[in-house]
Amino acid sequence: MTVSAGTPQQAAAAPFPAIPLRRRIYGFGSIFGKTMRDSRLAFIIAAGMFGGMSLVLGKAIAEIFPTELARQQVGALFGSIPAALNRLFANVDLLGNNVGTLGGYATYKYGMIFALGACLWSILALSGTLAGEARRGSLDFVAAAPFGKRRIGLEKLAAHLLLLWLALLILAGALTFASNAFGDIALGDAIGLDRSLGFAVWIGALAMFFGGLAFMLAPLLGRAGAAGVAGIAFAATWIINGLGVSPLYVLSPFAWTFNHVPLVGIFDWPSVALVAIIGVAFLAVGLELFQRRDMGVTVGLSLPRMPSLVLGTRGPTARAFGEQLPRALAWGIGTGVLGIVFASFAGVLADQIGGVSGISSTFNAIFPGIDLNTVGGWMQLYGELLFIATGFAGATLVAKWASDETDGRLGEILAAPVSRFRLVASSGIAALAAVLVITILFAAGIGIGALTTNLAAGDALLGTAALGLFAAAVVGIGFAVGGLWRASLAAEIAALFVVVTYLLGLVAPALNLPSWVANLALTNHYGQPMLGQWDAWGVIISIVLAVGGILVGAWGFSRRDAQD
Amino acid sequence: MTAVIQTEKLTKHYGTHRGVIDVDLEINQGEIFGFLGPNGAGKTTTIRVLLDLIRPTSGVARVFDIATNEDPVAIHKRIGYVPGEFALYDRLTGKQTLEYFANLRGGVDQAYQKSLIERFDLDATRRFKEYSKGNKQKVGLIIALQHKPELLILDEPTSGLDPLVQQTFFTTLRDAVKAGATVFLSSHILSEVEKSCDRVAIIREGKIVQLDTVDGLRDLANHQVELRFAGEVPLSAFESLPGVSDVHADDHLLRLRVAGAITPIVRAAAQYELLDFVSREPSLEETFLAQYGNAAVEVK
Repeated sequence: MTVSAGTPQQAAAAPFPAIPLRRRIYGFGSIFGKTMRDSRLAFIIAAGMFGGMSLVLGKAIAEIFPTELARQQVGALFGSIPAALNRLFANVDLLGNNVGTLGGYATYKYGMIFALGACLWSILALSGTLAGEARRGSLDFVAAAPFGKRRIGLEKLAAHLLLLWLALLILAGALTFASNAFGDIALGDAIGLDRSLGFAVWIGALAMFFGGLAFMLAPLLGRAGAAGVAGIAFAATWIINGLGVSPLYVLSPFAWTFNHVPLVGIFDWPSVALVAIIGVAFLAVGLELFQRRDMGVTVGLSLPRMPSLVLGTRGPTARAFGEQLPRALAWGIGTGVLGIVFASFAGVLADQIGGVSGISSTFNAIFPGIDLNTVGGWMQLYGELLFIATGFAGATLVAKWASDETDGRLGEILAAPVSRFRLVASSGIAALAAVLVITILFAAGIGIGALTTNLAAGDALLGTAALGLFAAAVVGIGFAVGGLWRASLAAEIAALFVVVTYLLGLVAPALNLPSWVANLALTNHYGQPMLGQWDAWGVIISIVLAVGGILVGAWGFSRRDAQD
Repeated sequence: MTAVIQTEKLTKHYGTHRGVIDVDLEINQGEIFGFLGPNGAGKTTTIRVLLDLIRPTSGVARVFDIATNEDPVAIHKRIGYVPGEFALYDRLTGKQTLEYFANLRGGVDQAYQKSLIERFDLDATRRFKEYSKGNKQKVGLIIALQHKPELLILDEPTSGLDPLVQQTFFTTLRDAVKAGATVFLSSHILSEVEKSCDRVAIIREGKIVQLDTVDGLRDLANHQVELRFAGEVPLSAFESLPGVSDVHADDHLLRLRVAGAITPIVRAAAQYELLDFVSREPSLEETFLAQYGNAAVEVK
């Protein structure tokens, strides 16, 4: 080998077999291809959720509201909800009577859920695609390859955007298919491809906006900081628009596109274009920052540190609790804020719904068994809607425990003179204590909200324990999986349990499936705890799952190989 | 000689934190250059500037006579790099990982890649997360070597390798140098630098405090001299000699430390009946420890 400084060596350009195009598009042939490959699971989940939900909602709406009268009652129902709440979900003024059509109903009830899913995906993917790899250390290898940093960023970005838009195309296709296959054309259910594409483009523009924000901030703040800021921006701008907070209203992309209601044929393309253009600008600035800044050097955000007292260095239980506490506080404060909002509105909603003839029966079709003429009924509804949040909270507590093994700390921990059984049991106790913190904060939120409106919320305060019990059961399942089998799957399977439970409870009644199907969901066995009506079976099963799962996990972990 | 790496007054600060200060280096084609220093001295910072992963606060770094922040791609085409701390893709096998990085360079000589896998005794069918620390390091080394780069920049390359694999690694390195490659190797393991490098720079608190050949650095250190006399030890005859320190007499044995030439000791000893004379050449490790332990080298 010979060298002459300043002149590329011939050997570097030796004629090796060309990398097949398919490997460059999907595989190890390029950074783009590998990013596509790495993102395949996220794409399958997102596309599956978008497409699946579209089909399910099309079928469910057609089955539950088959007549014109039922559709009119849906319209009246949404019209009766306070404007401050309505704005959070859609422009009801523009929707008008169309809210009773499949497109209008989908816009109101699911539009923001689709937007939230796509934005969360983009935020997580784009905050981590470069910053996460830089933090791990693998980006150093990639950056030493003969590409500019700009091209590395561009290839990763292109892969995510391609998959995002592919998933949104599936959403558009599924919506159009579902509306024509299951909907009633005479009732105005048909959603043309132009309308569903308009909906998908709106979601895509929002995803590029908030994902682009995360991508732009990632070189400065790192993955967690960028994702956090973009996530807060998403929530804040959504609430600002929903509550019509002036003058901040003007900063919200949800406000800019408020008059874009494509599923009922109302388009406002300039506003969508504005959101998309700003999103692209964020992405371009992010690329430039990645190109210009020191790689992996971030300024970070100075978040307040946990007091040393609660960091827990006295023993395994205290240490595990110290690790779980930040998550517990985050989930607790989040659900607590929702509790304040819910309890504040429960009285108003109960009065309004009770005063409108026929609406109660409509609501009963959507939420069977819940009397929404009462404050307690609304609290019960909120509680049921929040099972998924507290369930996921439980799954994240499992993930934190499992990270001892997946992040390579386990070797050090196991070297301590403490039995494996005790270590897992201690971690389980800490996770249950964290669930307790979440539950108390949620209950506190309900209490504060009730106080502001002079609401009697004693039953609801105690009823929050049902959410804690469900989260504890999720923790038990996760610990059992992680202890018996493998830690890397513990949180995933716990989260899967939450999703399946939620879908069984929500979709089975909507699809008129046999009651035993819905009763497979643990959440169907708590009674109506927010009304003070408890079903002992749910409590017993939850306790058995929580305590038994942790004990089984501890027993299993004592017997299997550690995997770090 | 052609300089492959040059830095002039290279300085890097991370906000208020010191990275490196006024680093001047010139590494020539075909040499193995050792970059020695304790943890946090600035070795990795220097290397990351050379790769344009971070940008200098002031000063210039050139690789192949190209300023690192002007055309890093042209530099990257000709280098192989192993970071000091890295993680790769947990779910990919060793083979898939090597394939990916080979593809990023437009392909590599498959036979050579295979020979490296065999030479390092890597089971390339296992997933990265299943590898031991040493095997992960082997993957990193093969990524750096598989495209036969002109310049190897290696940050603590033997970390986690067992002695046999270390030997294999240095043999591979020497083969690469024979083929014309240049090696820039950072380490805090003195014995490996001593065995493998032609020249060494010692960096301390961000500044280069010594830069010389391995032999030249050894000469800086004190020789340990032991003299066994037939009669009583003539302590006073040696204490005042130039460069002599730490003089200890024990029965007929005289131990002392000598900085610089030992000629005055030999001359003085010749005046007495001498039974034995031992002068031990210092290892680089002793030199290094002398530099740091006795603060013999001042940071300018």
